[in-house]
Amino acid sequence: MQCRTDLGLCVAFPPSPVTRSGTQKAAFVGSSWPAKMAAPAGKVARGWSVLALTLRTAVPRLPGLTQVRWSRYSPEYRDPQTDKEYYRKPLAELTEEEKCEQELRKTQLIKAAPAAKTSSVFEDPVISKFINMMMKGGNKVLARSLMTQTLEAVKRKQFEKYHAASAEEQATIERNPYTIFHQALKNCEPVIGLVPILRGGHFYQVPVPLPARRRRFLAMKWMLTECREKKHRRTLMPEKLSHELLEAFHNQGPVIKKKHDMHKMAEANRALAHYRWW
Amino acid sequence: MATPSLRGRLPRLGNPRKPILKPNKPLILANRVGERRRDKGEATCITEMSVMMACWKQNEFRDEACRKEIQDFFDCASRAEGARKMRSIQDTGESGNLPPMKLNKLLQRFPNKSHV
Repeated sequence: MQCRTDLGLCVAFPPSPVTRSGTQKAAFVGSSWPAKMAAPAGKVARGWSVLALTLRTAVPRLPGLTQVRWSRYSPEYRDPQTDKEYYRKPLAELTEEEKCEQELRKTQLIKAAPAAKTSSVFEDPVISKFINMMMKGGNKVLARSLMTQTLEAVKRKQFEKYHAASAEEQATIERNPYTIFHQALKNCEPVIGLVPILRGGHFYQVPVPLPARRRRFLAMKWMLTECREKKHRRTLMPEKLSHELLEAFHNQGPVIKKKHDMHKMAEANRALAHYRWW
Repeated sequence: MATPSLRGRLPRLGNPRKPILKPNKPLILANRVGERRRDKGEATCITEMSVMMACWKQNEFRDEACRKEIQDFFDCASRAEGARKMRSIQDTGESGNLPPMKLNKLLQRFPNKSHV
């Protein structure tokens, strides 16, 4: 099957030292495999027997070299697809590539999806990323509850405005907290970034185009930094965040100002753009 | 070619002669290789960037007024990124060795044990 060409990258690396025989566990005494590999015997045996079916050649034991870091998943494992729309597409609409992919999925090993990823209709990757960035010390429960309280606060504020407004204004007021969140973060994304480049012993701030994920990250980072540091100590996070999100939605507020400052600096340093080499 | 011998080269108590080598770092294989000398490229998307900045200057840095220029800049940046990726894939596919970044990742997984 040639449809998965991205596996080529994994195959180019020498795979983890797994021997073909699934039975001899004593053979691994000499190597540095961790104890946890021995525990789920059934699963490991299944993994080994499946690996025996792959077309990869056996890796010789490398004397003097021990593997120190690897994941539970060998390169055959594929990422889980939690998107329900992918599976609901009728057979006629699928292209050859997609049919091939779906066939492969039936037989190949798939990694476990992380706990925070669901196939629910309420799942939103931007919100999940924001919750992860808000999280401190692994306290996902607290971060998620803060996020829901923020969205509720945004909704309440917008509803108050809606009920207080006249008929023409009611049409312009946006009440869905998710659209407000997305639009606010989109408004906060910088278009161009600054990178310190060493030239002649001095660091110059050179304007540089940013990839999309860097822009989204910066927007979220600025929003969180603004709320955590520049506000009064006693105000709660949902209150601060909802206020900042609403201001960013209307293109006002300190986060938008920070984005504009970045743009202005880039504009001032536009002559230095030739210091880039990419 | 075999490694040149180290016998009697280092300043040690058991070595009667003058030392030949005086290494300032221990002679142990590191777990990384050096970067290859990359050829200097030049900056891409300068024209789009200057057009966008001229638009900003006229419209007081408002993004809604400069949508088209910003979109052009993003398109140019993604095209340059794609071209760079294609070039790096072609470059690394030709010679027999792995590129230094991938080699370093591999060496991190199979490090040289300099301790007991």
